[in-house]
Amino acid sequence: MEDFEGKKILVIQTHGVDTPKRTYSPLYYAVASAAMEIETTVWFTMNGTNQLRKGVAEMIKLDPSSNVTLASMLQMCLDNEVKLAVCQQSLALWNMTPDDLIDGVEIFGATTIIDLALNYDHVMYF
Amino acid sequence: MGYSKVNECVIATDLYYSVADNTWARVNEDGTVYIGMTDIAQSLAGPILHAKAKPVGKVRKKGRPIATVESGKWVGPIKTPLSGEIVETNKALEEDVQLLNKSPYNKGWVVKLQPSDLENELKEMVTGDEAVEQYKEKIERDGIQACAHIEGTEDYE
Repeated sequence: MEDFEGKKILVIQTHGVDTPKRTYSPLYYAVASAAMEIETTVWFTMNGTNQLRKGVAEMIKLDPSSNVTLASMLQMCLDNEVKLAVCQQSLALWNMTPDDLIDGVEIFGATTIIDLALNYDHVMYF
Repeated sequence: MGYSKVNECVIATDLYYSVADNTWARVNEDGTVYIGMTDIAQSLAGPILHAKAKPVGKVRKKGRPIATVESGKWVGPIKTPLSGEIVETNKALEEDVQLLNKSPYNKGWVVKLQPSDLENELKEMVTGDEAVEQYKEKIERDGIQACAHIEGTEDYE
């Protein structure tokens, strides 16, 4: 395998609990990226923000026979040192405050996302 | 090679284990070691679809990834339990990646390592009855279900 250690990938997730089938894959890619020792950040904005409200992701399950939920996927990200960040302005869109967020999520402003996009090696947009 | 079974999970008693990371090491006569994932690890992952090892020549500290493995429901790193340089990767996995499931302790080794601090780091791993005992505790503590084995898994009797 080519060695990608030291590279950086930014994953932008705009899909949330209203479209469950669009929620898992970006997180799965993020974990794969982190496992390859690529510095990985998932940035949640627009509808993507609502999955970060405490207690919500536990209810999103793609396979009824599995015990894996969207919350499991978010936790897998954190366990693999994927950074999770949310758009400050999107919180207001969903009437959320920082206290509503699950643990481990950072809050960034729009200028930070521009900084990240310019400084990361690659941006994946969903 | 001797085997023990805990909750249908096979533990090869002549290998050294990092119980936390579910990896094993076999020390060869020439001082190199094979590194692989345990039967419990393959069962938790399910049928493996892809595995990518780090390249030969890569020097790794203990705890760093030597490969990335993915199944339909899981993706993650295999972390080396020993520091050293990767001197060989298992080409057989390119032909049949599910050797990781079917033969985790033999044909499904992941990399061969030239260890840099073998004597000290082996002391931090467990083997034999101690390994079996620690896996019993882990299986109970983590609520791990009985290990599942896909068709073609080697016979451990």
